[in-house]
Amino acid sequence: MKTTVIGAYPKISDEHQELRRALHRADRGELDDAGLAEVFDQTTRWALGELESAGVDVINDGQIRWDDPLAPFARAWKGCERGPLERFYDNNTYFRQPVISGPISSDGSTLVRDFEFARAAARGELKAAICGPLTFATLTAEDRHYRSLEDRTLAVADALAAELRGLKAAGARLVDIEEPALVAHPEHVQLERAAIERLAKADIPLALQTYFFPADALLDALSTFPVAQIGLDVRSRDTRAIQGLRPLKQTVVLGVVDARNTRVESEREIGDIVDAALRQVDGDRLWLAPTTGLEYLPHDIAVRKLAALVSAARALGGVHA
Amino acid sequence: MTEQILLTTTVGSFGKPDYLQKARNTHARGKLSASELTELERKATEEWIRRQEELDLDILVDGEMYRGDMVAYFAERLDGFRIGGLVRSYGNRYYHKPVIASKLSRPKPMTVEWFRFTQSLTDRPVKGMLTGPYTMLDWSYNEAYRTRRDAALALAEIVRQEAEDLEAAGARYIQIDEPAIHARPEEIGIAIEAMGIVTQNLRAKTISHICYGDFAAIYPKVLELPVDQLDLAMHNYEYRWLQLFDEHPFTKELAIGIVDVHSHRLETVDEAAEGIRKGLKYVSADRLLPHPDCGLKTRTVEESVDKCRVVVEAAKKVRKELGARAVARA
Repeated sequence: MKTTVIGAYPKISDEHQELRRALHRADRGELDDAGLAEVFDQTTRWALGELESAGVDVINDGQIRWDDPLAPFARAWKGCERGPLERFYDNNTYFRQPVISGPISSDGSTLVRDFEFARAAARGELKAAICGPLTFATLTAEDRHYRSLEDRTLAVADALAAELRGLKAAGARLVDIEEPALVAHPEHVQLERAAIERLAKADIPLALQTYFFPADALLDALSTFPVAQIGLDVRSRDTRAIQGLRPLKQTVVLGVVDARNTRVESEREIGDIVDAALRQVDGDRLWLAPTTGLEYLPHDIAVRKLAALVSAARALGGVHA
Repeated sequence: MTEQILLTTTVGSFGKPDYLQKARNTHARGKLSASELTELERKATEEWIRRQEELDLDILVDGEMYRGDMVAYFAERLDGFRIGGLVRSYGNRYYHKPVIASKLSRPKPMTVEWFRFTQSLTDRPVKGMLTGPYTMLDWSYNEAYRTRRDAALALAEIVRQEAEDLEAAGARYIQIDEPAIHARPEEIGIAIEAMGIVTQNLRAKTISHICYGDFAAIYPKVLELPVDQLDLAMHNYEYRWLQLFDEHPFTKELAIGIVDVHSHRLETVDEAAEGIRKGLKYVSADRLLPHPDCGLKTRTVEESVDKCRVVVEAAKKVRKELGARAVARA
């Protein structure tokens, strides 16, 4: 049973605040772009090291350069800019809503440099991540070009497919699609399917990561999505998704430690969830993860959550191997 | 009579002067005593009262020179909370997100002395400023209460005690902010129930500030929030929430945000005045209060002053227009 992480890792800790200071200095004009880039790289190395030393099997780069899950794309793409500040779902965390002024396009290189840097610095398996097309499209503040949510979502999917091709050429072997909008708005599941089919054309294994809301009503539909993995948050709200995993043919990435609450789960608690899941799917199709990005927690708790995740997975591996 | 309409106010916090920011850092490192820090906080508060009077704002605030974060300030003073590590809210801004670790209670009043001090400095009314129970819950980690409603109602009892103490100390306006009220639209009933506990015995004018979220998801239900005035960020949203009032008329007083607080760019007086005119289509001038979208603590002192000046000048401009129209009609 492999462990993995989703989304962003805390950018600072009580002891490690270089990035926070560097951004303040850059804001005051006391640090140039090259100096700031160096601190971003150092912080990425630090995050990679923390994820590796926690014993997580498949890691990401911690998204240290991402202001929010939409920012890298809204910054880089033609036809798009970053607009008003808005709350990111039910979190006290904020993001800039995209504003679309013309046809969206990407040269596919948005994440390539950072992925190559992280891959060179990481010792183990590294996956990449993109924002989900429906999440980007539904969180757009203003669209002066596309006529409907459908048109916008599919245009975003095409731009994301370009990013996937860029990541594939850079050596990525698995990419998370972070898609809370799908479970926030399950009524758009057919639109999501059409968007994911466009992403699948990039021919790289995809993990569709849903979180914050239950996926109960979507499990049957998700079973035929052309992705390698489906991520489910079974901690944030009341959900019976765990009892409905059987139709899924993909690997299930189960969010078993709550990345939005400081109470650290016991091995027994995680074990009970996993046991319930194993009644529905084989152990070789089950990965364990935090429910969402660990950046919603203070660094010290994030570290303890990872330790709980890894030790529970190892204990279960011993039992179920 | 035009002086009684379009009363100007602010949402609560202002930029802290450099000397206070440095003192807070020095205090955090243990190199400045609490009483020395308090002296500087009082000095900064008095400076902000003088600035607000000079700007000619009508309803004043203490500026929250003694607070860092609007939830952590209270959490640090309540039994049952533990202060957690730093969590990012956006960009490069972090806060200590509190943890509800055990049953909550209020050992003593938390803001009353600051209110008394600030009100003693001016003849203009000063608002008592509290964070609402639902936001206190939503911006904390709940480890102790079985449900979110249980935790919200426990917090409501504490905020009620504080609000009643503020009223007893002379507060004529009490603002109980609920910026998280739309975090989970399905829980708006909990926020309304909790606010009902807070305001049940108050005679003061009650206000609640709401910002940065999907206001459409809670409208018109939010009109059931038992307060007299809703205080809304509008400029950041290009006033689109006003369209909701076409279908369901707005029934409370409206404090309307007419300048952005997260941008260095300074709005023109004409631009801000246009925001007031938009609001006047839905709410009469005696029930419309222009102000910045949100607290100004992320701006410098100078930027805070400039933003407030635009609000006051815009209100004066529109008052004059309304006065001229009234004379023409007479």
